Amino acid sequence: MSIYYYLAAFLFCLGLLGTIFKKDLISMLLCLELMMGGVALLFILFSKSTGFLDAQLMVIFTMIISACEVAVGLSLIIALYRKKQTIYTDDIKIITE
Amino acid sequence: MVADVFLTILTVAFALMVVFSKKTVVSAFALLMTLLSLAMIFFQLGTVFLSAVQVLVNAGAIAILFVFVMMLINLEQFGNNREKSKVKLVISTFTVLVVLGVFALVINNNIDSLSVVNLTDNSMKALFDKLFNSYFLPFEMATVLLLAAIVASVVIATHEKDESIEQMEILKAEEKL
Repeated sequence: MSIYYYLAAFLFCLGLLGTIFKKDLISMLLCLELMMGGVALLFILFSKSTGFLDAQLMVIFTMIISACEVAVGLSLIIALYRKKQTIYTDDIKIITE
Repeated sequence: MVADVFLTILTVAFALMVVFSKKTVVSAFALLMTLLSLAMIFFQLGTVFLSAVQVLVNAGAIAILFVFVMMLINLEQFGNNREKSKVKLVISTFTVLVVLGVFALVINNNIDSLSVVNLTDNSMKALFDKLFNSYFLPFEMATVLLLAAIVASVVIATHEKDESIEQMEILKAEEKL
């Protein structure tokens, strides 16, 4: 079972890597979902090893929050695409321009 | 033990596909498979309800939502000819390796206390007893948050009126005055 701890850490770090170096916003959101998956797995492992059911409830709330995040994020991407015709981060220089 | 290793390898393979795949659609389907294999891991750990929720919500709704948005946005017009900055890749890989090393160190030091399985009551009854008694207020707040997210995504993604048309309407209104 202890292999799953390393898997959770690996998933989180892989998602972090993707979020940093990917260029389009949809891929960045996909990698954020990967990070959320790693965190959910870690919560369940803590619940199993400590015996507290609270950690499993945290997973439910994490899922709710990630669903909200994805819904709002994807609608922001669609709004941005309508306005600027791009989804790449290096094309968007609203602040620096 | 064999099932644990197999599921871990499956998840790692699909997660690597999410990050390193060239096409975004392939990444989305790899994410779907990653979430499904995570659901299998949840099932293996004995949390059956969370496994079902993972399949329904994360794999069934969120991953498919990504595919729908990709249909709305014409991804093929961008192509894959963006120049990749090597410096950024090296720096981000270094950062992530440091974070992973810290995680691995912490897990290695506490592996004895972490791997003890002593969950007394794993039933759904105990889970929901806790959810609807001591976590009732957060649960209600989560429903309000979901409602706010629905309203926000509809408002943000709704097609805005063309600005020139709006200005014409303002001019017409001024003429009437």
